[in-house]
Amino acid sequence: MYLAPSLALIGIIVIFPILYTGYISLTNMNIYHWFNPEFVGFQNYAKAIFVFDSGFLQALLRTILWTAVNMVLQMVIAYIIAVLLNTEGLRAHKLYKTILMFPWAMPGYVSILLWKMGMFNNEYGLLNQWLGKLGLDGVRWLDGNVSAFLSCTLVNLWLALPFMVMVIDGALQSVDKSYYESATLDGAGFFTKLGKITIPLVRPVIAPAVVITIFTTFKQFDIVYLLTQQQGSKTGADIHTVITYAYEKAFVTNNYGYSAAVSVIIFILLILFSISANKELKEGYR
Amino acid sequence: MKCKKRVGIFFLNIFFILVCLLCLIPVLYALGVSLNSHNDLLSSNFSLLPKNLTLDNYKCVLFEKPFFLWLKNSFTLSAFTVLVSILVAIPGAYALSRMRFKGRRTILKLLILLNAFPAILSMFAIYRILRPLGLLNSFTGLILIYIGTMAIFGLWNIKSYFDTIPKEIEEAGEIDGAGDFQIVWKIILPLARPSIIVTAVMVLIYVWNEYIFAVTFITSSGKYTLAAGLYALQATDYTRNWPVFSAASLLVSIPVLIIFFCIQRYMTSGLTAGGVKE
Repeated sequence: MYLAPSLALIGIIVIFPILYTGYISLTNMNIYHWFNPEFVGFQNYAKAIFVFDSGFLQALLRTILWTAVNMVLQMVIAYIIAVLLNTEGLRAHKLYKTILMFPWAMPGYVSILLWKMGMFNNEYGLLNQWLGKLGLDGVRWLDGNVSAFLSCTLVNLWLALPFMVMVIDGALQSVDKSYYESATLDGAGFFTKLGKITIPLVRPVIAPAVVITIFTTFKQFDIVYLLTQQQGSKTGADIHTVITYAYEKAFVTNNYGYSAAVSVIIFILLILFSISANKELKEGYR
Repeated sequence: MKCKKRVGIFFLNIFFILVCLLCLIPVLYALGVSLNSHNDLLSSNFSLLPKNLTLDNYKCVLFEKPFFLWLKNSFTLSAFTVLVSILVAIPGAYALSRMRFKGRRTILKLLILLNAFPAILSMFAIYRILRPLGLLNSFTGLILIYIGTMAIFGLWNIKSYFDTIPKEIEEAGEIDGAGDFQIVWKIILPLARPSIIVTAVMVLIYVWNEYIFAVTFITSSGKYTLAAGLYALQATDYTRNWPVFSAASLLVSIPVLIIFFCIQRYMTSGLTAGGVKE
């Protein structure tokens, strides 16, 4: 009974839309069939999965690449920064930590737009100004597919690193220093210590945060959308991830049925991933 | 040896100063632009430090744009959303944490799975629900969306914290004849304050920063939130507006920054000096 209000709200705003999306995905609802959608079975799904030109599979592969690249870079860089922060004798580490939190604290969309206009802009962006001072031609950062992908990665790293640094930093501080001392006495080198002490001890502590970050990276919408796909200021780069792809199919080309089918596929993928991640996590804790 | 170490620390400090600068550069640049007068921007010798210091851009944001109206809208929306979210989440979390009923585990698992569905993808379905109800272009509709989107997060977050509060404390209350309501109000809530504050702030920040639902479901700019207003500001001819936009974005960010750095303490302070001493 105490749960009723919560469940009612979740029912209206979360469950019903999902069910409704499932229903739309089986129809041909679009701008021409707004009031009288017809039932078309699994046609939309077939189009998404089996027609390579539809763009969904490319977007899916790109999203997986995007997630992998971002996670690897994030883990490595965050680990290096966290270890260096914990160097003995570094007095100002608290100050550095506070400043490094900044990108995390800023409203995400504000940061992304500041990057877009302040750093990447073709004429007066800071990056091109610097290039100009070096006597080089400016780069149209957000126009080409590769450069736009890299720019998005850069912004994502900038936004996501603080959280990862804090998580790894906290995990490192929980490791008992005496392990390292006895390892040093036994003659263990840097990499032995890293592989045999740090990683096994830190892993279970940071695992949940890593899983959450994988999810948010996979579901990332704002960066790709605001940097390259915003209505009225599209840059011409096609770096759709699955989410921006589904969004565009619904709100730009108004192909609601198809977009809904894509959404359902994404949802199923996310559920499968979250189930397997949960299993991993539980085994890690044992 | 000692000397070598000092040199190492010195370079480490330089490294971190560089990293921090890198980290702040978009914001510092925006600050520089916002304090510059318009004409400097396109000239080639623009520098981070403004030569013609001016507050014109800030004045323009505050008085020529409906900044205070949007601010008021943001306040109203966040206040209602946070209040209702917390009021709804607390009893729900209490039930999930303390009561053992059929389907409890299923509900908990289902909530996690449901949370995997990206909110943006349900936008069209929500649109089709809100339209017949006449809730488009209204705060009620938007608040409903925000509460629903954050409901699972709130439930789980507060529930996990309730789980860490020992049952013995409540049993003492029960013996003294307190009902559920009294136990929650007098015993649990004071103890769970950190998690409730953190949850409330997360909801607040979410509402404050949310733009895509706001611009989709609100059609009259008089009802825009700050985030939606800012988004609209840059979407229309942003080249000319860039200094104004940077001024506005800094103004919008300041409250969030302050709140974020304030709750740092609460994030770490767990159950301080618990009631049950063994």
